[in-house]
Amino acid sequence: MIIRSSEQLPRTTLLKRFPLPRNFGVSRESRIECGRTWPAPAGATRVKTFEIYRYDPDSGSHPRLESFEVDLDDCGPMVLDVLIWIKNKIDSTLTFRRSCREGVCGSCAMNIDGTNWLACTRFVSQTRERPTIYPLNNMRIIKDLVPDLTHAFAQYSLVEPWLKTKTPEPEKERLQSIAERRKLDGSWECILCFCCTSGCPSHWWNADRFLGPAVLLQAWRWLADSRDEASGARLDDLEDPFRLYRCHTILNCTRTCPKGLNPGKAIVEIKKMMIERRS
Amino acid sequence: MRSPLGRVRGLGSAKEGVESWWLERVTAVALVPLTLWFAAWFISLSHSDYTTFIAWLKAPLAALLMVLLLIALFVHLALGLQQVIEDYVHSGAKIPALIAARFACLSLGIAGILATLRIVFRN
Amino acid sequence: MPQRSARPLSPHLQIYRPQLTSVLSFAHRVTGISLGIFAVALVAYLLAAAAGPQPYALAQALARSWLGHVVLLGGIFCYFLHLCGGIRHLFWDTGRGLELRAIYASGWTVVIASTVLTVSTWVVSSMVAR
Repeated sequence: MIIRSSEQLPRTTLLKRFPLPRNFGVSRESRIECGRTWPAPAGATRVKTFEIYRYDPDSGSHPRLESFEVDLDDCGPMVLDVLIWIKNKIDSTLTFRRSCREGVCGSCAMNIDGTNWLACTRFVSQTRERPTIYPLNNMRIIKDLVPDLTHAFAQYSLVEPWLKTKTPEPEKERLQSIAERRKLDGSWECILCFCCTSGCPSHWWNADRFLGPAVLLQAWRWLADSRDEASGARLDDLEDPFRLYRCHTILNCTRTCPKGLNPGKAIVEIKKMMIERRS
Repeated sequence: MRSPLGRVRGLGSAKEGVESWWLERVTAVALVPLTLWFAAWFISLSHSDYTTFIAWLKAPLAALLMVLLLIALFVHLALGLQQVIEDYVHSGAKIPALIAARFACLSLGIAGILATLRIVFRN
Repeated sequence: MPQRSARPLSPHLQIYRPQLTSVLSFAHRVTGISLGIFAVALVAYLLAAAAGPQPYALAQALARSWLGHVVLLGGIFCYFLHLCGGIRHLFWDTGRGLELRAIYASGWTVVIASTVLTVSTWVVSSMVAR
């Protein structure tokens, strides 16, 4: 079964998750417990049960997995519509980020049925019998499905994602040929949803020091930009056994990108640049 | 109580890492033909007696390839183990584990080379 | 207001779906470590050969036992999986084959090729033994 694009879902599932105990190697505050079931309102026709991760920082209790019975005839077709329906009709305390509802802002990134995607572009009809919704992996959770992205954005600021030049500003634009501009295609479209970074196993083990695919894709965007004059300094900053070289080309990032981008390929190009400058 | 940027900047970039990456790839490329040779050689010799095995290993080409195989194999193994330990071990045991792994690969590699040379040069 | 404890960490390995990408990468690592153990066995074999005919005969008897055969079969599969996976990695390092379609096609090729190569090596070595 050959996957052609990241939005293609696999036809068969051999394993829904690795055969490990549910709370394997998890610290006390992160243990997930069983939560309550919220029944569908009376008169519901097409009912599907969603399992959603809940965490309430004010209650002092552990995170829970709660089941919500959803009337699919009463809400829109996307997973985000289901979450909004639950918040309106069933439990108004369900908390999640959302904005554009069309897959361009990156706010509603979450783990749906085991893989990371945007809730607003995932059809309910594409989900499993009993879909599971978790927040983005390996992130500190503020509440319910809202992860703390402070660290991820701090890593992004580390690569200094702006044009760095010594040549003084020209009167008009800094010129760039069509071919040079084409090199940036596939990296400028990143919406910084962090689906890839939170799906990278290497980032799970080394989140504090490994920059992750999203940040490295943006590092590549500035390395590939012909107008930028600081490639040497950028490469010096990246050449580190942890910042760049924790990437073992696992390629979960490319598989999961909701915008169809290829962070894995960008990272390989950065490594090629590293070799090129010393040979 | 460090700021997020302070935590992320840490102790700065090590400014090295490409050398180990390159060496891992060079040894990998060397190991493709060397291990294929070794697999074929070992299978053809697995059911022969002691004197035939020694005679085959004494041949200069076989001895050279065996020594090259041992060098490439243990350098590649040492680099791979370093990656694995750095990935999973984060406690104070990391540095001792890295040193132990490197020592083990060095000792085993040299032991293998010495054994090969002993077979080749013993009359 | 109860004392705020540390924020929980969202689950990762426990709930992420196993995909060809992550499973093959993990297999590459596991086979690499197993081959490391076989490298130790290789050195032991060479040391036995250097020590004399009796230690060599013992080593050969161990390899020829049924347990030795099982271990060797596993070792041959680990070797071919790591070899094919390694060649796939080397291709990626040149920048080729990183589109999703090629990733999946090469991934399945690695799995099928290693199985076929293991079986054919086993068959050939059994024929050589006779």
